[in-house]
Amino acid sequence: MAMRDTAIVAYSEVKTVQKSDRDVWEIGAEILEDLLNKTGMEKGEIDGLCLSSSTTGAGNCFWSQTTADQLALEVDFCQTVDIGGCSPTGALARAAVAIDAGLCETVLCLFTDTAVRESGQRQRHYQQEWTAPLGLLGPPTSFGFITSRYEHQFGLDYRMLGKLAVAQRNGAVLNDLACEKLRTPITIDDYINSRMIADPIRLLDSVMPCDGGSGLIVTSRKNAEKKGYKNAVFPIGYGEKTSFQFSENIVDVTDTGHMPAGAKAFKQAGLTANDIGSFHPYDDFIIAMMIQLEMLGFCKKGQGCDFIREHDFNFGGDLPLNTGGGQISVGQVGLAGGGTNLVEAVRQLFGEGGNRQVKNTKNALVTGIGGIPYNRNWNTSVVMVLTPNG
Amino acid sequence: MVTVNDTLNIERSAPAARSFSQPYWDGTKQKKLLVQFDKSVGKYQWLPRATSRFTGRKSVLEWREVKGEGEVYSFTLVYRARPPFQGKEPFFIAMVTLPEGVQIMGNTVGITKEDMKIGLKVKPYWHPLPDGCHMLMWQKA
Repeated sequence: MAMRDTAIVAYSEVKTVQKSDRDVWEIGAEILEDLLNKTGMEKGEIDGLCLSSSTTGAGNCFWSQTTADQLALEVDFCQTVDIGGCSPTGALARAAVAIDAGLCETVLCLFTDTAVRESGQRQRHYQQEWTAPLGLLGPPTSFGFITSRYEHQFGLDYRMLGKLAVAQRNGAVLNDLACEKLRTPITIDDYINSRMIADPIRLLDSVMPCDGGSGLIVTSRKNAEKKGYKNAVFPIGYGEKTSFQFSENIVDVTDTGHMPAGAKAFKQAGLTANDIGSFHPYDDFIIAMMIQLEMLGFCKKGQGCDFIREHDFNFGGDLPLNTGGGQISVGQVGLAGGGTNLVEAVRQLFGEGGNRQVKNTKNALVTGIGGIPYNRNWNTSVVMVLTPNG
Repeated sequence: MVTVNDTLNIERSAPAARSFSQPYWDGTKQKKLLVQFDKSVGKYQWLPRATSRFTGRKSVLEWREVKGEGEVYSFTLVYRARPPFQGKEPFFIAMVTLPEGVQIMGNTVGITKEDMKIGLKVKPYWHPLPDGCHMLMWQKA
């Protein structure tokens, strides 16, 4: 696959906050300048712009254009990716494809959202007609269904979900960029005793809406070599699936699009789950990570709790997981939140994890989840394998 | 003991139908549960769509009335909601499988926390809306 002929040569992230006192474009400008400093590039070398979804920008159907205008970027490729929580990793994949196809050479992938400060969203989907009238809050309710069903089919040890929550919180305590409110340690009992949102979904299963942003500079492998960057990370496998099994009315909600997307990504990378150095799964809810462990082949279906019991997910453990805290303990940066785990994976592979650096930097696995459909799990699943060695 | 709100005390506005879902809402005026049916493959689908989820062809769809007796596939007890449900929690949302091979979500009437389980047999309860349509809810069969 040719996606591996592109390189991530820099990453940037601002502090996640409960409500930004700055405009979304000011956050974008800060990320741009940081990336120029880190790469030594001039602004004119950036000839592509690929944005994640943004709640703030959602009312503007010219979002990528307008952002290119605000940042004064003259580009040959300009796009907003609108697959929800998958859109940061999806944007990286599309940037790589655009570079490989010769549309451009160097892309700023920008994942910013100030959903709390300013929402521009006016949703148009099935929910107004079919679920809002039932008092369905959205994602927590849908994950309540998924969790009830999982428990019915396989049994569920909630303390194991709590173990993942604690590991992520340990990461956030070490992460200066995590939302301050979330940087206090928790115990498994804290998780179990946290109040119900949509029983059996608890408060500590869930993300807190926040503002912030992150970004990447992606360029051709050739250009990265020419410029002699010390650090580079390559996407060596990618899979994406939207509307998994949507031609059927009734599906097993514990099967997800990560199964086919993961198989594709691993095949391209020539790796399996056993080879993964650190895992950075999309975490809108704790159980989503456990189901991903099953779908991606870390363990068999229905055995997620046993797998969690047997492994250590802290940065020094045998399977480091969302070492910066994940979205649940960093705060969810609106529709750009998928950037949090993606950038953490790149940071770890650059060896810049600092007080939470993982030992195994051979590769990292990043995923995304996007969209909440009717009577199933989610709309889009993405899986990407990253490596520093190409 | 948790008292589950049957949500009948919540003021609801009638949802705005789309061009392709209007027949469903019209059917609820007579408390009829109409479901789209793809006659080319002989399968029902829910929720109402602009086209068949099986074949991608809209011309093969028709509406058929079903009884609406089914069983709970999954459920959640909602403790946090937005207005007008806010402050009226907790209440159930149940996802119900019908013998026609579709799943329909709804609030529940008269089902306690102790009653509720996956596999519970349910039937429709039609709650009147201001425009003469009815909201489909679920009660014990």
